[in-house]
Amino acid sequence: MIYLLKHIYEWIDVRLGVHEIINKKRTSYLMPRNINAWYSLGSVLLVSFVLQITSGLLLMLYYVPDVDKAFASVSFIMNEIPLGRLVRLLHAVGSSMMILVLLMHMLSVLFMGSYKSPREFHWLTGFTLLLLAMGISLTGYLLPWNQLSFWATTVATDTGNAIPLVGEYLVELLRGGHQVGHHTLGRFYTLHVGIIPATMAVLIIIHILLVQRTGISTPPFGLEDTTNKWKDDKFVYEEHPDGIPFFPNFLLQDLISISLYLAFFMTFVFFFPNLFIPAAAYMPANPLVTPSHIKPEWYFLANYQTLKLFPSEIIGITIQLAGIFFLAMLPFFDQGAEKHPLKRPVFTCTAISVILIWVGFTIWGLYS
Amino acid sequence: MRCLGVILLALGILITSQADAAVKPVIVCIQCHIAQPTKFSQPVKLWETSIHAEHGVGCNACHGGDPMDSAQAMSPARGFRGVPIPTAIPALCGGCHVGVTKHYTDSAHGRTLGKGGPTCVTCHGSHDIQKASLDLISKKKCSTCHTPEKAWLIRSTMLKRDTMLNAIEKKIKTLRSQGVETDQLEKRLFSLRNRFHAMFHSLDIKLILQESEHIQAALEKTSGAGGVGTGPLTGVVAVGWALIAALLFYLIKKNLD
Repeated sequence: MIYLLKHIYEWIDVRLGVHEIINKKRTSYLMPRNINAWYSLGSVLLVSFVLQITSGLLLMLYYVPDVDKAFASVSFIMNEIPLGRLVRLLHAVGSSMMILVLLMHMLSVLFMGSYKSPREFHWLTGFTLLLLAMGISLTGYLLPWNQLSFWATTVATDTGNAIPLVGEYLVELLRGGHQVGHHTLGRFYTLHVGIIPATMAVLIIIHILLVQRTGISTPPFGLEDTTNKWKDDKFVYEEHPDGIPFFPNFLLQDLISISLYLAFFMTFVFFFPNLFIPAAAYMPANPLVTPSHIKPEWYFLANYQTLKLFPSEIIGITIQLAGIFFLAMLPFFDQGAEKHPLKRPVFTCTAISVILIWVGFTIWGLYS
Repeated sequence: MRCLGVILLALGILITSQADAAVKPVIVCIQCHIAQPTKFSQPVKLWETSIHAEHGVGCNACHGGDPMDSAQAMSPARGFRGVPIPTAIPALCGGCHVGVTKHYTDSAHGRTLGKGGPTCVTCHGSHDIQKASLDLISKKKCSTCHTPEKAWLIRSTMLKRDTMLNAIEKKIKTLRSQGVETDQLEKRLFSLRNRFHAMFHSLDIKLILQESEHIQAALEKTSGAGGVGTGPLTGVVAVGWALIAALLFYLIKKNLD
């Protein structure tokens, strides 16, 4: 058996040079010596994305994107298909987990100053991926065609009406009509299973290639000089000559983080699935009966509460769009060389305040 | 598209108003009786609190007549029968509550019909008819005709089964809130509860005990089926494996470092 495997490996190696790649990764692709576990969140996200794609493809085998059949097909998956309930829970809970890890990854990049030059493209692709992940979750939310998803989508898409001039057309374009109906389901389904995941896959590849091209950024911890060494004159690959090899050293850290993530993820899938799928999600959509409390998913609660806070929705939308724009453009605004969070107190205090406000608004939105 | 929206809205309003009409039928009997002296208006007020009113069962269902035509509302030609005679009451109620009639007729209560024995309205009331519940069996009410011991024994047995049925209902609700398909179970429970309450009239509870055990078994089977692959034991194994894997990778890494 070992002989056979060795033979297959050699057969592939002489054609593709696999051994050379592994050797190169082991010796040339070096990571900073002071690298920490936060850097492994990218790998966790990759696993999370692959899990979502796999579970999504399995769900597509039985899901019917038709307003008269969607709810029944999801119910069929959960009750009749062997392991269907598990696959559905993995997919539904997994979307929240992916957003959670994305936010953690973004925060680690923020506090360690890894978004600074020359990594503007890394930040922009990563930030776009966060927005796309929220978009794929929003579009996927409607697909089971239950009371919660129907009304949450109605409320969420209705927000677009507040945009002057184009709002009404935008909402109609999104819904495929004035009301959330079969055209909306068709559009959201196309976005959810086709356009958004394909775009995400391309952006993930670009994001990884960008990291490979520029080299891993040095964390600002455990060093005396924690400033950004990059000079705006020529391309320089950030080398770590005294660093640790990616394979196997940091790969093991990736595997530790992935295993811990899976343990955390499975805990919610098996023991607290209803945190992410409340009882209203098991009632078929009824356009004639509006539930008393419509709440979006946890990661939209702060946005939802912000919109409620202002007398005019357009003010709330403008503030949020301004916030998104500022965050997306952060590497262009923040040109300081210092990367250590404690050595740039204004940034750190502002970031912590914004996070606390976001958490506060999320809790407020949950209980309002 | 706008046109479609307007049509949908109009349809929505139409469907809503039809649903309302089904729950609260506009019947001329009420319009006329409610304005009359207490003797004639009291039944309307009592009916409004009844299970019949809740389900849209109007005056004509028992008294006959035409509830939509004030001129002919009390015309015998339109089936108006006025106040039914006591011996006709079981057959009248049995017209809708089919299952109960036979049990009642075969029971000690039914056998004394016309000889001073109770009819349906003796226990359930004539206009303020309440949802059948164990509260209808009271020592005070039963004592008006006979000693209440037997009725009380049946009540306590029924209470035990009713508690069980309520527990099953609660469990079904929990399962439904977890996405388990419970339509068939709910229908069976609804049917069982109706049969259970109907069979009380025969005073034979042995059959009821058997039936409720059947549904309990079906419930447990469904509960298990719904949880395939997501049971707590599978969860412990999955989380355990992930944690063990994390520990193993950590030990290898530590050794390597």
